[in-house]
Amino acid sequence: MSTTITRAHKAWCANRLTLCLCVIALLVVPGFPASLYKIAPNVPQESEAETHLDQGLALAKLGNLASAEAELRKAVALAPANADYLDDLATILAMEKKFDESNSYFQHALKIDPRDMAARRYLAANLWQTGRYTEARQNLQILLKANPSDAQALLLLGMVAENTRDYSTAARALASVPSLVRARPESIAALARSYYYLGERSKACAWLDELQNHAAGVRAVLLGAQIADEMKDYKTAERLLSSAMPHYSDQTELRYRLALVKFHAQQFDESEQILEQMRNDGYMTSEIDHLLALCFQKQERYEEAIHALQEAMQLDPGNEASYLDLVGILLTQKQIPPAIELAQHMAKVFPDSCPVFVSKGKIELAASDYTGAVASFTRASQLDSTSLEASLGLARAQSNAGMTVQAKSTLIDAIARFSKKAPFELELGQLLLREADAGDKGAEVKAEQLFDAAVSHDSKLAKAYYELGGLALRRGEAGRAATLLEKAEKLDPLSAKTHFALSRAYRRLGREQEAAQQVALFDKLKNRSAE
Amino acid sequence: MSSLPNRLPDSSGSGGHRASRNLFFSLMCLLLLTSPDFSQLPASLPQKEIFTDVTEQAHIRWLQFSGESPDRFLIETMGGGVAFLDFDGDGLQDLFFVNGGETPHGKSLSPVHNALYRNLGNGEFEDVSAKAGVDRVDFYGMGVAVGDFDNDGFPDIYITGYPASALFHNNGKGTFTDVTDRAGVKNAGRWAASAAWFDFDRDGYLDLIVTNYARFSFDDIRTCELNGQHTYCEQKSYAGMPLTLYHNNGDGTFTDVSEKSGLAKLVGRALGVVTIDVNGDGWPDLFVARDASPNLLLINKQNGTFEDTALDAEVAYDPQGAPKSGMGIDAGDVNGDGKPDFVVTNFNDEYHSLFVSTSSPLYTDQSVPSHLAAYTKSFVGWGTHFIDYDNDGNLDLLIVNGHINQVIESTRVDVKYQEPPLLLHNEGKGVFRDMREQAGAAFHSGHRARGLAVGDFDNDGGVDAVFTRLDGKPVLLHNNVGGGRPWVGFDLQGTKSNRDAIGAKITIQVGKRKLVRWVTGGASYLSSHDKRVVVGIPGDTTPAALDAEILWPNGTVQRLAGLKLKRYNKIVEPTRNDLRMQKR
Repeated sequence: MSTTITRAHKAWCANRLTLCLCVIALLVVPGFPASLYKIAPNVPQESEAETHLDQGLALAKLGNLASAEAELRKAVALAPANADYLDDLATILAMEKKFDESNSYFQHALKIDPRDMAARRYLAANLWQTGRYTEARQNLQILLKANPSDAQALLLLGMVAENTRDYSTAARALASVPSLVRARPESIAALARSYYYLGERSKACAWLDELQNHAAGVRAVLLGAQIADEMKDYKTAERLLSSAMPHYSDQTELRYRLALVKFHAQQFDESEQILEQMRNDGYMTSEIDHLLALCFQKQERYEEAIHALQEAMQLDPGNEASYLDLVGILLTQKQIPPAIELAQHMAKVFPDSCPVFVSKGKIELAASDYTGAVASFTRASQLDSTSLEASLGLARAQSNAGMTVQAKSTLIDAIARFSKKAPFELELGQLLLREADAGDKGAEVKAEQLFDAAVSHDSKLAKAYYELGGLALRRGEAGRAATLLEKAEKLDPLSAKTHFALSRAYRRLGREQEAAQQVALFDKLKNRSAE
Repeated sequence: MSSLPNRLPDSSGSGGHRASRNLFFSLMCLLLLTSPDFSQLPASLPQKEIFTDVTEQAHIRWLQFSGESPDRFLIETMGGGVAFLDFDGDGLQDLFFVNGGETPHGKSLSPVHNALYRNLGNGEFEDVSAKAGVDRVDFYGMGVAVGDFDNDGFPDIYITGYPASALFHNNGKGTFTDVTDRAGVKNAGRWAASAAWFDFDRDGYLDLIVTNYARFSFDDIRTCELNGQHTYCEQKSYAGMPLTLYHNNGDGTFTDVSEKSGLAKLVGRALGVVTIDVNGDGWPDLFVARDASPNLLLINKQNGTFEDTALDAEVAYDPQGAPKSGMGIDAGDVNGDGKPDFVVTNFNDEYHSLFVSTSSPLYTDQSVPSHLAAYTKSFVGWGTHFIDYDNDGNLDLLIVNGHINQVIESTRVDVKYQEPPLLLHNEGKGVFRDMREQAGAAFHSGHRARGLAVGDFDNDGGVDAVFTRLDGKPVLLHNNVGGGRPWVGFDLQGTKSNRDAIGAKITIQVGKRKLVRWVTGGASYLSSHDKRVVVGIPGDTTPAALDAEILWPNGTVQRLAGLKLKRYNKIVEPTRNDLRMQKR
């Protein structure tokens, strides 16, 4: 094994970090300036392996990564214990996005030379890139133990921590390398988001303001506005977008994002105005029409919403979201026949879309076509077995169609499969309660156990508390019923049936005034949409 | 078998042995061929069916016409009233059927008419509709309420419908006269369903409560689909209507007191009504079953007004606070505590409701513990009535069912379009058992049943029944078992109270058991019943005679001793001076 490091190789190594970070930049930020991508200069041949190495590096410089890879594989084959060769091959593989194989070569290099901090740094970058945050963090911690002021490692640690929602570590790490953070919009975004989560809003805003005049241009501004929007800091989002507008000739994206921010801020009329102005200015896109439709929907102008969505669909017939939103509006407006027609059309246009078949199933449930709903939800589940909505919808449709055995089986399977079990436990409990009504005494006990399980998995599941309260009421345990129903009421104060049940509990406890108050709330809420 | 040898003879022996064996086998074959298969013999002798369909033998040939049309008007699915009444006073219960009618695109090849069948006393009936003058009305017919509104001893007929109703006065000579306009009970413009006669102000004259269903018009054509097929729109899409209450002025006219009584403000889709004294104060109250609207429990305030207490009484909604689809209703003491309980028929998945009187709350929903929920989950119920079909002293339950949606079976595997009736035996304290196996052939097939009336058409003490079917012949059911047990019948006649004695309460003590029955107004769906009361006598020992107490509608209490069993006892309301024990 050669331990000699050629001059060219050293230069190559020095640039590899930059290269790796460029890889990160290239992968995260498409279109990043190619001038940042540098390759080491040519070196004289010293051995056959080195010859292959040099050829590989030259090919990499020319952008011929596949051939560079082939040369470096030969170099590694000839000198399999040479950590540097392993590092170089791993780097090329990373540039080709063959991260798993790249990682294995970096790890191999580190086995040979555990003190190779560069390799460890690159490995950490790879792991971060592929979402293996725990392992990335472990490697970064080794780096920082060796050199607490390793700037690149701190930058990467900040990014990894932010991805894993460890915002305090993220903020600390990123804030310690401000120049590196400042250079990259994604790093600024990560730091700002961390500050938001830590409640340090002013710091977050200050960093987002850095994006206003960033070299990355409008993309940076949009990213900053997106972060602020996500964190519900609509004023900052608006400010970023508005301040950027005079500086860009093409303001389409900025105006659209501003309308989106206004929508999120529930300023639906203002959002509508921006979008209408864009249309008047000749910008006819399905995104604009779609967002306009949502603005109309929020203002309960349903016919206009329907019309806007139809226009969005015409402009972009392949945009599934428009169909889904239109079906949703038709359903809430109880326009069932056109909803059915649209759902059937959707199923033909998007035959492999789980959300489409879920939507179709919901329409069929609303139309009492339960066997049709079973077919739709079955298809949805086949398309995406991880879809909670599809599984839950299927169980519900089966139950409504009288296919009780199948419904139970679907729910039992879902409880085993899904980590979010509570909705299925609730549904199965309700099904068993219906069986209890039909005479199965054991079913009531099992139902109660399921409701208890549901609240243990989701303490905010109002409906489960409601069912438990109902069970207590029918057993004559008015006090316990009241306690459970009060919990349900707190979690869902708009539930008419909870107020109704609570009024009965209070009445049985002799609390007539409270019972009357609950009845009044029930009367007020009962004509709202069906629960 | 005991004469056969215990052991077969040795077959290797002489021909004599072979002959014995052959004889044995021959005898075995003979036995096998001629004897019944002992393993298949029933444990007991086969029982006769409880109800026999005697429609054919009775010569009832009338057909209900719904006017079913491509327009799918909801009214097409909802008609079918029927009544037991003794219109000619010969002591035999006759039958009256209300027909539906034509719709704009649902025409009949022959005239659509109601039918009055006179009981000939031999199990046969004769159609006397045209002769009687009650065969035609100029509106779509729905239900019937029979009551002697002028106390002349002859029952009159009120026919409900859309967009009007009609009152036919019984002239006493086998004919009727339409007195609607004079009486002022047309209920014009409304879609009326069930109606009931009762004396709400206890002045001795029967008043009339009419349930109105929904805002409707034949010009209002709606398009609703299920599984791609044009079907009936759900009832919730039709706005509800207020009740109508007519006060009998005692001179052949009525006054609409709907507003004054407070009933006009109770808007909803009302379908069934029964009148009974709920709170035991001697004044008749009302329970109104409503469809996708909360039920009403209207307590008579004794001043011409009513107060709805359904919410507090916990009979308005289901336990989730949602109104069920109440169609038919009846009242009776189902658990033997002397207080009225209620049954209400509902839609599939809702199960029919049994509200049993308790102290607090006023009623408890016993649908599940009584097993009623288990038996009715998949049914759409209409006419219903408590009857003690076997006269064991416990009120049993008869329900007729049938869906409204022809395509229901394409969307559900557990709900049928045509559904069988239910006969539920009260095992005691209001717990029921399905008697389908023994009930009779009519209970083994599906129907589009609607109205149900009960009455003893052959006066044998076994309460019979009749139900109507959409676009089909009715089914007259003869009770084969009730007459075989001890019973006592009451045929009450008011003098100061209304002549029909609607509102009377009868109490009988049999050993430790107190049996309470009422003469109610209304009940079931669109139908009217034999006003006489049959009380089955529980226990194994039969008393020779019975004592009874009658609380007459006007408040008079009459005690009777020595009532004969297995007969109808005609009891006339005494005047004040006659209030003493009467030996009969």
